[in-house]
Amino acid sequence: MLTAVKNQVRVCVLSIKYNIMREMLNKVTFLTNICFMALNNAAFIIQWVILFHLKKDIGGYTMKEVMLLWGLAASTFGLACILFDRAFSLPDLIISGKLDAYLVMPKNVLLSVITSSTNTSAIGDFLYGILVMCIFSFSVGRFFLFLLFSAIGAVIITAFALMMGSLSFWFVRAELFGDNMVNCMISFATYPDGIFHGKVRFLLYNIIPVGMAVYQPVHIMMRFDLGSLLTVLGYAILISAAAVFVFYRGLRRYSSSSLMAARM
Amino acid sequence: MKAIQAEGLAKTFRVKQKEKGMKGSIQSVFHPKTEEVRAVDGVSFSVEEGEVLAFIGPNGAGKSTTIKMLTGILYPDGGKVEVLGIDPVKKRKQLAYQIGTVFGQKEQLWTHLTPYDNFKFFAAIYDIPEREADARIRELGETFALGAFINTPVRNLSLGQRIRCEIVASLIHRPSVLFLDEPTIGLDPVVKENIRQLIKQMNKEFHTTIFLTSHDIGDIEKLCKRIIIVNAGRIVLDDSMQNLKYHYLNKKIVEMKLQEETTLAPMQGIAVLKEKGCHVKLEVDTTKMRINDALAHIDAEHVEDINISNVPLENIIMEIYKSEKGADGGLA
Ligand SMILES: Nc1ncnc2c1ncn2[C@@H]1O[C@H](COP(=O)(O)OP(=O)(O)O)[C@@H](O)[C@H]1O
Ligand SMILES: [Mg+2]
Repeated sequence: MLTAVKNQVRVCVLSIKYNIMREMLNKVTFLTNICFMALNNAAFIIQWVILFHLKKDIGGYTMKEVMLLWGLAASTFGLACILFDRAFSLPDLIISGKLDAYLVMPKNVLLSVITSSTNTSAIGDFLYGILVMCIFSFSVGRFFLFLLFSAIGAVIITAFALMMGSLSFWFVRAELFGDNMVNCMISFATYPDGIFHGKVRFLLYNIIPVGMAVYQPVHIMMRFDLGSLLTVLGYAILISAAAVFVFYRGLRRYSSSSLMAARM
Repeated sequence: MKAIQAEGLAKTFRVKQKEKGMKGSIQSVFHPKTEEVRAVDGVSFSVEEGEVLAFIGPNGAGKSTTIKMLTGILYPDGGKVEVLGIDPVKKRKQLAYQIGTVFGQKEQLWTHLTPYDNFKFFAAIYDIPEREADARIRELGETFALGAFINTPVRNLSLGQRIRCEIVASLIHRPSVLFLDEPTIGLDPVVKENIRQLIKQMNKEFHTTIFLTSHDIGDIEKLCKRIIIVNAGRIVLDDSMQNLKYHYLNKKIVEMKLQEETTLAPMQGIAVLKEKGCHVKLEVDTTKMRINDALAHIDAEHVEDINISNVPLENIIMEIYKSEKGADGGLA
């Protein structure tokens, strides 16, 4: 059992390493990606600095908290896209029959699939998030909590993307819907949750899991609470289990593709 | 133990139908019409260990779908499969350690890595320790003469070299059964021949059971002792190569362009299929006449261009159908 896990991890690590090697092959694109990402993020910070000059408190958040939120969102999504990028493009694999290659391997299909590509600009996002956190609200405890929550958050949003992507096993047009849901999650993650009320708030904490992936962790990092931490952890385990279930259920319906079908 | 055993294997695909234009698109959203395609329709056969079996049929016959069910990629809708005594649906991973797969139309190698790095990756997938992996790569590299390009990134290789590497990658874990789905598709004749040699060698040296699909009669003639012909998801014929040769593969098609119009003297074993001006199309029955003698009879001096080919697979299948019906009629 233990060697099986060790071997699986060895393959995943190798796979991620080769992915990064592939992305770095084109150094110009690699560097431009990272630069643009940095520029993009800087623009975002400026926007909030201006806003906070006008108003001291937005949705119950101060500047420091918004930056922490932004940093955590960047690191969480960054980490998810470094490790599990393919979970975000699952529909394409399902529809064009690209799961075949993973199904003939003596390894866990799901893990092999989601670790089979890496988004390199996400490396920038991940580091940027940590940097932002260090600049605006550093403490040793917070630093480790930040890393922990990035990892948990990455698992949560990957599980969500996986569930949305798996819909393509059942419906051909699920691709668009799933993409929208995932994009929604990304957009919401960069706004303080205090500005949302009622139904939207319910949605964010229950349907689209930004609440548990980003908002709640920020609250915990500002004011530590073990109960909340365990809730987030429990939620991550639950949603992962659900995602794995949905994926394997769908996999039974996987129909691969014929070359003729692929060309249509 | 049988290497492969299939009984009443079936798979139906549901394909969305869409009528033309905007109206069709709207209709397909609200009332999607689906059509069922019986890709594999109750197929039963078995393969002995160490056997080389050709599974042939025209495009769309259900060959790839059958292979996908045998390797655990697709769930069958009906029937039973066992490969090496293992059910591919229930014990996919366990089976994966013991089989190899090569899909001619899909690549499994990382294109930015060298074949060597790819092989190392596959070795990791199959839990082969470093040292052992290096030894096997060396051995396979020598057997399949990869030395010249084993350190060239895959994307810079020719199609033929790439397929060779795909085959080696699928052998790194020493599978007892190898599935090859149209391994020679899109290759030029020289490379085709090369691949056929490799497959033969593999069977001989490692006693690997080989399940090969193709729509190219040439693959089969050179490789297999046994052949299964499928058409429209059903088995049309399951026979030894020897029998098949005797009954169906003893005819060659000769197409020629002559310098001037001539009429050939009739001769036993040669049938004229078409004769139009300088273009002549003949069918030579090689049980009655050697192809050399036929060419001598034609008088090669006047030939400007010549092409000799096998009878197309479609025609052979048609012929088998006809003869089966004839046999039924005879009994009645
Ligand atoms: N994923 C798929 N979805 C829908 N139809 C398919 C799919 N795969 C194969 N088919 C259909 O099933 C039939 C058999 O296909 P296939 O097994 O690929 O044939 P072959 O490999 O013999 O050319 C064809 O009619 C093909 O169009
Ligand atoms: Mg095919």
